[in-house]
Parts: sequence; C-alpha cells; structure tokens
Amino acid sequence: MTRNISNALHSAIIFIVVTIFLFLIGFTTTGSELIIKALSPSIAKTSEGLEIGFTIFISLIGFIIGLVASKREEPDTLGRNLVAGTIAGLISGVVIGLFGFLMGTLIENGIDLRGYLQSVSPDSMRKIVFDQPPNIGALRLGGIILLSSIFGSFINSTVIRAEWRKSLSTSVSESSTADSVRKTASKLGANQGFRMAMMAVLAAILIILPQQWGSYWNFVMGTVGIYILLGIGVNLIIGLAGQLILGYVAFFAIGAYTFALLTAPAPHNLQWNFWIAVGLAMISATIGSLFIGLPILNLRGDYLAIVTLGFGEIIRILVKSDLLTKFTGGPRGVRDIPGPTIFGQSFSSDVDYMYLIIAAVVVTAFVANRLQNSATGRAWVAIREDETVSKTTGVNSFAYKLLAFALSAAIAGLAGALFASRNQFTGPDDHVLMVSINVLCLLIVGGMGSLPGILLGAFTLKGLPELLRELENYRLLIFGALLVVMMLIRPEGLWPATRPKLEEKGKSIEAQKGEPT
Amino acid sequence: MMLEIDNLNVYYNAIHALKGISFHLEKGEIVALIGANGAGKSTTLNTISGILRPRIGSVLFEGEDLTKIPPQDIVRKGIIQVPEGRKIFSKMTVAENLDIGAYASNDRARIKSNMDMMFQRFPRLSERRNQLGGTLSGGEQQMLAIARALMAEPRLLLMDEPSMGLAPILVEQIFDIIRDINEQGTSILLVEQNAQMALSISDRGYVMETGKIVLEGPSNELLVNPVVIDAYLGGGHD
Repeated sequence: MTRNISNALHSAIIFIVVTIFLFLIGFTTTGSELIIKALSPSIAKTSEGLEIGFTIFISLIGFIIGLVASKREEPDTLGRNLVAGTIAGLISGVVIGLFGFLMGTLIENGIDLRGYLQSVSPDSMRKIVFDQPPNIGALRLGGIILLSSIFGSFINSTVIRAEWRKSLSTSVSESSTADSVRKTASKLGANQGFRMAMMAVLAAILIILPQQWGSYWNFVMGTVGIYILLGIGVNLIIGLAGQLILGYVAFFAIGAYTFALLTAPAPHNLQWNFWIAVGLAMISATIGSLFIGLPILNLRGDYLAIVTLGFGEIIRILVKSDLLTKFTGGPRGVRDIPGPTIFGQSFSSDVDYMYLIIAAVVVTAFVANRLQNSATGRAWVAIREDETVSKTTGVNSFAYKLLAFALSAAIAGLAGALFASRNQFTGPDDHVLMVSINVLCLLIVGGMGSLPGILLGAFTLKGLPELLRELENYRLLIFGALLVVMMLIRPEGLWPATRPKLEEKGKSIEAQKGEPT
Repeated sequence: MMLEIDNLNVYYNAIHALKGISFHLEKGEIVALIGANGAGKSTTLNTISGILRPRIGSVLFEGEDLTKIPPQDIVRKGIIQVPEGRKIFSKMTVAENLDIGAYASNDRARIKSNMDMMFQRFPRLSERRNQLGGTLSGGEQQMLAIARALMAEPRLLLMDEPSMGLAPILVEQIFDIIRDINEQGTSILLVEQNAQMALSISDRGYVMETGKIVLEGPSNELLVNPVVIDAYLGGGHD
C-alpha cells in the first residue's frame, strides 16, 4: 500500500511542477486558445470561449495525472486504480488549487508579478481562477483536477489496461495489428511492380503539389526540404560513421556565403552563373571540412563535439565581424541574391524553387542510400561500432571518417546555397548554433540512419512549428519535451533504420531477434 | 624468422608499460605469451597491430619494420588480431561481421568462398548468419571473432585471451579450433591468462611480468618449471 501511495505521489509531484511551470510561462493561455479554436472557432475570442478552453486544458492535465498515477498499480484491479488516481488527483488538486489561490490573492491585492516573471500578467492569472474570487476559483481549479484524475484512472483501468490484459491472454505468437501492417508493407515493398507504381504516384504528387498548394506552403515545405538535405548530410557523419559533429552549420554557412558572394550584386558584383556558384558552394564547404577535419578527426566523442561546435561559432562570428565586413557584408548580410536560370529563362518562382529543392533531395537521398548499402557504408558502421577493431580488420578509419565528413559538408554546402538563393538573402543570423541543434534533433526524433526517419523528423521539427505559429514562443520548450519523451518511449526514433541484409533476403532479422541465444 | 620483437618499449603517457621486451616467432609456430593482469600482454599485441606505437624498439615481420606502418596496412601484410573480449560488431549481422573481416580484400569471389568455408567450419554461425552479432552467446561471439579474423586470410594470427569468460567446455572447443587453424599453416601468437591451456597447445612460451619477459622456453619445459607451476599453474595449492 505504501508503495502505491508513493507511486501516486511521485506522478502527482511531477505534474504539479510541470503544471505550475506552464502557468508561469503563460502557456496555459496559449494552450486554451488553441483548444477552443480547434473546437469552435466562433467563440474563440470571447471570454466564455477562453474559460471553456482553459477548463478542457486543466481537465486534460488532470486526466493524464490519473492515467499515469494508476499505470503501475498492482494488483491490477479497478479499486486500486481508482485509489491511485484519487490520491494523485487530490494532492495535485490541492497544491495547484493553492497556487491558484495564492496567485489570485496577489493579483487582487494589486501586486503585479510581471517584474519578476514576464509572462505572469494579471489577466492570465485571473483566468486561472476563472475570474472569480481566489477561494472559489481555487476550489474549482482543484476540483476539476481531482475529478478528471479519478476519471483518468477509471479510463486507464477499464479501457487501456483491459486492452492490455486481453492482448496478454491471446496467443503471444499472434501478431498485433501494427506488426501485420508492417509485414504487409514490407511484403508489398519487396514487390517490384508495386514499388514502381508507388514511385510513379509519389513522383506525380511531387510534381503536382507545388503548383497547387500556393506560395506559403511552398515556402514551408521548401524549408523542410532544406532541412531534409541537412539531415541526410549529418546522418552520414553522425548516424553512420558515428562521429559527433556539432558545428554542422559551419558548412551550411560556407555554402550559403560562397554562393551569395559569387552571385549577388554587392559587395563584389561578381554575378556568376547560378549552377556554377552552387557547385563552388559545395566545393568550398568540402574544402572547409577538410581544413577542419584533417587536424581534428583523430579526436573522439565529446572532444570532437566541442571542437566542431567551436568551429561553427567561429565561422558565424567571422562573417559577422567588422574585419570582414567589406568582404562578407558583415552583420547586414548579403542581399538581392538572384535566382537560377535554365537556358536563359528565369527559374525562380516559388514553384520552381520547390522543384529545385525536391530534385536536390531526391538526388542526395539516392546517393546517400547507395553509399549506406555499399562497402563504404559498412566500413562507416564498423567505425561507429568500434573504431579500434575496425582498424584491426583493415579499415582505414581516418580516411573513411574524412570521406563521411567531406560528403556531409558538401551536402550542407548545397543546402546553404539553395537556402540563400531562395531567400534572396543570407546573413549571420541564418547560421546560428540552433541550426545544428535542429538538424541533430530531427535526426534523433526521426531515427538515426534512416531516410524515412529524416523525412519524418524534418516535417515534425520544421514543418509543424511553421504551421502552428501560435506556439512559436514555446518552440524550444516543445522540442525539449519532445526529445525527453522520445528518449523515454522510443529511443530509436519515429522510423528507425532497418539493417540491410547481406544474404538470404527472405529471412527477416526482426523475426530472429526474439530467439534465445 | 617470421616475427622478431626487439627491445620494445611502450608507454601510456608516463606509464612504462613494456620495458624492453624481445622475443621471436618462427613460421608455423604457436607461441604463448602468459602472465598475470597488467603484465603487458595485450599491449604487446596492440603494438604489433600498430594500434600502439613503441617509443624504442622494433617489430620486424619477415624483415620489415612494422612500427611505422598504419594499422590497416599491417592487416594487409597478413597480421590479424582477434581482440580481447571478442569485440564483434554487435549491430551488424554475423554475415556482415565476416564481410568486414575481409575488408582488405577486393576479390568478391574469394570473399564469398571464404565465407562459405567459415560457415562450414562454424555451423553455429551459419545458422545465425542473419542474426545481429550482439545477440550471440559468448562462445558464439568468440567463434565469430575468430572467423572474422580468418576472413582476412592471416599468415600470423594474434589472439588476445580467447578463453576469457567462457565455460570450460567452450574453452576446450576454442583451443581445438586454434590448434586446427595452426595445423592449416597459420602461425599464432597466443596471449593467455589460462597458462595451462596455452602452454599445452603451444610450441614455445614466454612468461611476462610487469612489462618484462622473465622466463622463456619450450612449452613442455615451462609446464614443469617450478616457478611457472607456483605462479601460474596453481601449484602449491592443490
């Protein structure tokens, strides 16, 4: 019994901290607005609407508290689950209610907390207690949490855990729906004709969509495409060769600036051909990677990460510096970068750029995929697994690491050039550390070493935030939460890599994994 | 003489790990290097493989000094190490592990036939060829490590503690395999803590203690040497 209470207490404390944190950063207001907007846009702006949204928001939190608190209750009976949900709901209801009471009282006494906490406006705090006197509002707040928590534990016991019990009692060998879907998919995937048909459909979609969905979508998806490129590049060196490179943005910057300086009217007025400039952008990024890679690729692990992190910052600060303002345009960046032309025709509408980016992604993905499944790919994986042993099997680990590094830099250079050209601008602020972190995140969320994973990760991390503009201020918060959740429940990523099979294509590795050894 | 080590001095920063050891190995021999933990046995093997570099001394392989040659080229000369603790690639399948073993070769047909040979020699590996290396048992992993090394067609095989962490029956099996490999013409330098087993299959042995070679001789003589019996064969206690 004590163990149960401590379990419930545990989840209650976590959620109390999270909820109060969400209150203090003002996320509750944004969240409530989003909820009510999704449910009924007509009353979204009214104060009743906000109140309903907030009630739903708070109920959701309470529901999750109940769900989590009763998750590990043993023995698994309805009573036990309900007790856990009630205890957790009661504790968190009381504490969060007290918090609401405290805030409400402070606001009522005319104390403005914005001096200490930027997002704690009197208005948003009054919303917490439903625009009512602090004592009544706090009771209502705590009551909602308690009730929804009990409801959560009830649902957990009657629906979720019941399903689980059912699946336990049915034969273990009987595969779940998800498994059978996957098996069907892989069976279809092996079918040549089906693959061709899928490719044709995909190609048709990629050709038609950019013309149909308007310039806003082209912009958003273009950015996603650029990040897919970066993801493919970084996957070579981090995902396959296992070398933790953090300053990847350096090569993005080198590519973007090489391209910009060669084509823009200022500061050098070179105005070279688009395609030559893109090629040179890739080459200069590669040279940059050799320049930094030759001396440092012997470092391992954290040391390599730190040095490359520094390199990324050095490049950004260099292009921004007064010293190089004449050469790079300094903090103001390079402007009026012209678009591409094909056979003398301008090729720079938003649709054209989308095609260009899609083409770049397809070609890069194809090359990366071929490399991954070649002897070179196996050498990279061997280095990732154990560099010393890979040496004793005859792999020239330094050369292969350098190759992976140079290739990924070239891809970053290409992405940088396309990015600069599409935006018609590049400046130091396009090349901040956050770009490297984003790319790493999309790799982790999507799944290291897997191409579909990269696509999925790029959509999740770059596409969704663009579409959910309201959440802009909380982007980092959500990234962080997403990473933590991913590490806990699906550390291999949304769409993990499957190992290519060397022999006997019929037999699946997955099927043998469970075998005792 | 196939391998000749002369006055080898190796340091880990300030720590003097090998204090001027010298020994040799004739073509076709099994030579055992025995000694306690920290005697410098693995250091010796890693220096021959080129992973560590000596400060003083030379490693001559068929008259050529290996101390300036990078590890991957030493592999191409036919010196292959089976590392301590097996160190198979756990995220690769058995077949891929073998394939990586033949990395120095470009002859696909030969690699294929070598792999078939390995699967004949180690039927357990054949059964598990598409299984990830990390899911194998300890004995199977040791077999995989040996098979991976054999894929490179070694002329000199460096084996680092092949018996480590294995059940006695598996140790017997592994040593049978080692003898078998030797009979087919591969010279073997065997590093072992299990002195009894190592000396029973080797032609000659060296005893190492804190970075020096303190005893050497034909294995059958070392087996009855009172000093060796006392220190390494559990003598005086049974």
